[in-house]
Amino acid sequence: MTVTNTCVTFDKKINEEAPCILACPIRQDARDYVQLIARGRFSEAFRLVRERNPLPAACGRICTHPCETKCRRNSTDAPIAIAWLKRVLGDNFSEETRKITTEKYPEKIAIIGAGPAGLAAANDLALFGYSCTIFESNSTPGGMLRMGVPPYRLPRKTIDNDVEFIKKLGVEIQYNTTFGADITFASLKEDGFSAVFIGIGLIESRTLNIEGVQLGGVLKGISFLNEVNTTGSARIGKNVLVIGGGAVAMDCARTALRLKSHKVSVACLESRKEMPTTDFEIEEAVHEGVVLYNSVGPKRIVGKDGKVAGLETLRVKHVFDEQKRFNPAFYEGSESVIEADTIILAIGQASNLSFLKGQDGIQITRGGTIVVNPATFSTSVHGIYAGGDIVLGRGTMTESMAQGKKAAIAIHNALRNTAIKDEKWAEKPAVPEVLPSRISFIKKEQKQEMPVMPLEERLNSFDEVELGFRLNEAVKEAQRCMNCGAGALVDDNLCVGCLTCVRVCPFEVPEIKRGDTTAYIDGDCQSCGLCIVECPAKAISFKTPLEDCGRDALEAVFQEKFIQGVKPLIINFYCQYGVYYEDTIDAIDDAFFSHVRRVGVLGLGKVDPSLYLKAFELGAHGVVVTACKDDICHFCKDREWVERRTKFASQLLGGLGMEPGRLRTHFVSSQNGKEVLELALRMVEDMKNLSSGQS
Amino acid sequence: MIVASSKPFQEIKQMLSGFKKVCVLGCGSCVTICHTGGEKQVIELAAQLRLSAKLEGREVEVIEDSTLRQCEWEFIEDIREVIQDCDAVLSIACGIGVQYMAERFPKIRVFPGLNTTFMGGPTEQGIFWERCAGCGNCILGTTGGLCPVSRCAKSLLNGPCGGSQNGKCEVSQETPCVWHQIYDQLDTQRLLATMETIVPPKDWTTGMENHPRKMILEHLVMKK
Ligand code: SF4
Ligand code: SF4
Ligand code: SF4
Ligand code: SF4
Repeated sequence: MTVTNTCVTFDKKINEEAPCILACPIRQDARDYVQLIARGRFSEAFRLVRERNPLPAACGRICTHPCETKCRRNSTDAPIAIAWLKRVLGDNFSEETRKITTEKYPEKIAIIGAGPAGLAAANDLALFGYSCTIFESNSTPGGMLRMGVPPYRLPRKTIDNDVEFIKKLGVEIQYNTTFGADITFASLKEDGFSAVFIGIGLIESRTLNIEGVQLGGVLKGISFLNEVNTTGSARIGKNVLVIGGGAVAMDCARTALRLKSHKVSVACLESRKEMPTTDFEIEEAVHEGVVLYNSVGPKRIVGKDGKVAGLETLRVKHVFDEQKRFNPAFYEGSESVIEADTIILAIGQASNLSFLKGQDGIQITRGGTIVVNPATFSTSVHGIYAGGDIVLGRGTMTESMAQGKKAAIAIHNALRNTAIKDEKWAEKPAVPEVLPSRISFIKKEQKQEMPVMPLEERLNSFDEVELGFRLNEAVKEAQRCMNCGAGALVDDNLCVGCLTCVRVCPFEVPEIKRGDTTAYIDGDCQSCGLCIVECPAKAISFKTPLEDCGRDALEAVFQEKFIQGVKPLIINFYCQYGVYYEDTIDAIDDAFFSHVRRVGVLGLGKVDPSLYLKAFELGAHGVVVTACKDDICHFCKDREWVERRTKFASQLLGGLGMEPGRLRTHFVSSQNGKEVLELALRMVEDMKNLSSGQS
Repeated sequence: MIVASSKPFQEIKQMLSGFKKVCVLGCGSCVTICHTGGEKQVIELAAQLRLSAKLEGREVEVIEDSTLRQCEWEFIEDIREVIQDCDAVLSIACGIGVQYMAERFPKIRVFPGLNTTFMGGPTEQGIFWERCAGCGNCILGTTGGLCPVSRCAKSLLNGPCGGSQNGKCEVSQETPCVWHQIYDQLDTQRLLATMETIVPPKDWTTGMENHPRKMILEHLVMKK
């Protein structure tokens, strides 16, 4: 048996997946784009996101981010701001996705509705090579994103940017075209469409069956939002009451505040804890001045002179019955009145299925949604698919996109008679929670705060409230990620059971279990890389190719044209924790740029001493290692290892007769760009003076 | 396990001078565990060799490989192809591996990259101590499990010499006096009386005095 393992090449099966990825309905590569951002590799991160996600900028703002709920960082301090990080990418980067296909199929696909489900289906079908036309009844794309979500949460240009990208893939959008009126199933067939995907959403606002709903001043939630979102205003009074406890209710209330109502309240059946929207949205609404009336049910709308004067309510006993079904009960005689001159009903949406007229055979549910095969999203009629809210009833934006994506694969499979699968959706076990005994080893790191517009300014316009991370903030936030499921992996064929990894790991992760002959590293690995360097058998490597411990970056330096002419050439190995490269060396210094090349690694504990030798072998004249000081080390222990490894490498170099000053180590935080600059420049000068026979 | 230390680089360089294509060959057993002959050291040593050639303007091709154990014909046979057009092999196995290589590949020069040092083990990460001298006649049963043959500078068998002081060996203050340790251990086990038994001079012919030693397991030997 020969072991050739200079670079460990074996089947790196990742059997446990990061929970953030598993929690996402579209299985967005959360961990991997976060890890790319942590390394300042924004464009690659954007490309990765875009390959799975047709609406990254919108998603980064309004996704309910189940990924964060499941993030393993919850057990140490706070989850990674996965969605906000995606927003940074969507806002600041745009690059063609690499997956653009050259395949072209003859079939045309019709997509009804330019909302999240339809856009996702069109995007993926276009990537497969089909020509898609989206038919949209409005004059702009986005569906509920545009009608329902106010611009202060989702600026219109971000929807447009995302959609522009989809159009670049060849997707056509026909606006002002209502399905069932302007086009029908029959006309689509006549026009040669081979498949239809219905993603029209729930366009009717539900109404209440109580006295007074017909009074002047009673508005429907989505219609109200749509009016404001398209015209910038709507006629409302000074004292607005929104009925409903979900996201749309919060949006209506906050929109009403921006239309200068004196008082805006929300009344809902649910208690504060039961409200069907995120805490964050409720808190923002309250913070802006919305008054909450929890656990009250509408009895009748009180009128005066044909106009709304208030809402008579009953106190709620319970919203859900013992079988957990929605079945509210009230206390008798608990009537009271909340005064209001405008009442907005935000109690949910319903479908309008009039387009089905004349198309028999599409099965629908009692709730008015379309029945589909849960695997293919095919309706009961061949060639007609559906997804999004018209199937989900009430779903999230990401759930809708997931259905659009799955339908796209099914349509492709049906048309091509194939059975391809998207492996990302395969069932996998999640990396379990961090072992309690290890939590104390993991450094707590402050979550980055989202910069927001000051309260005083917010209510004066519909400008976006959350301002987004700056790039350096994004990098810092991403660097908190523990790279779950992609950490160190032992190759059983190479491990000799020497116990080195067991002894060096600062987090006490590797173990050789009784009866085993090789080491095992579980999902708590923090990706510090210490064991990877120290393993004498080179049996350990990271599970994903993303982290190569500085090798590629070093080699990239020597790919540069004319690099061999640079004399002296200094390589600066630096720790990327806490820094965003472009941020650190801001002083434009000619000597630095002409003589120094930087190799950033997320934690210098990952760097093998042989890499310093390699730098010289490739042509460097000096190597300066700038490692963080103890107190800011993300892994807490890297300093001592960097110290002894550079000392060891110096000995090896000394053995070759090289001057001792050619490899230097300084414990100065990379965040201190000025000092790093000085140290590097000093080295440039010293190397100029060293007259060794080095070429 | 067998513990071996790295030879000084200058010595290695000297041995290999003049060879154009060299294979640095690691061994995946004892010397990997003692961090001098594993894949990691192969990479480091090869990098050193290349760099030194570059610094001196020489052309040398250095290839890197390892076997699970260099002291097995079958394992080293596997690398025949890898080394066939090498001028020299730098084996960083213990002396056994070096000899196996030299015997199996008589046309290729094989050099040792390590000094095979002793049989012992790590007492903590990075620190290795000798523990056995391979004397061929083990007496650990009467010495509280501590070996005076390998751990006493003078291999005394009947208690400490007069130089034992404060638990340290007179030969080196860094070394604990093993006879002091044996005494403490027997005391703990309430076996101090055994110290009084005089051990007759040891038959050293079972050990280093009788090279080369050989072991035959009749029941396993297969007919050729
Ligand atoms: S720490 Fe990173 S990889 Fe782990 S669950 Fe959170 S975002 Fe995902
Ligand atoms: S350090 Fe390497 S060889 Fe040693 S036990 Fe760990 S994986 Fe195995
Ligand atoms: S990479 Fe670091 S955290 Fe992970 S097992 Fe190795 S030493 Fe431990
Ligand atoms: S001091 Fe102890 S270990 Fe050293 S030679 Fe004397 S008896 Fe042996």
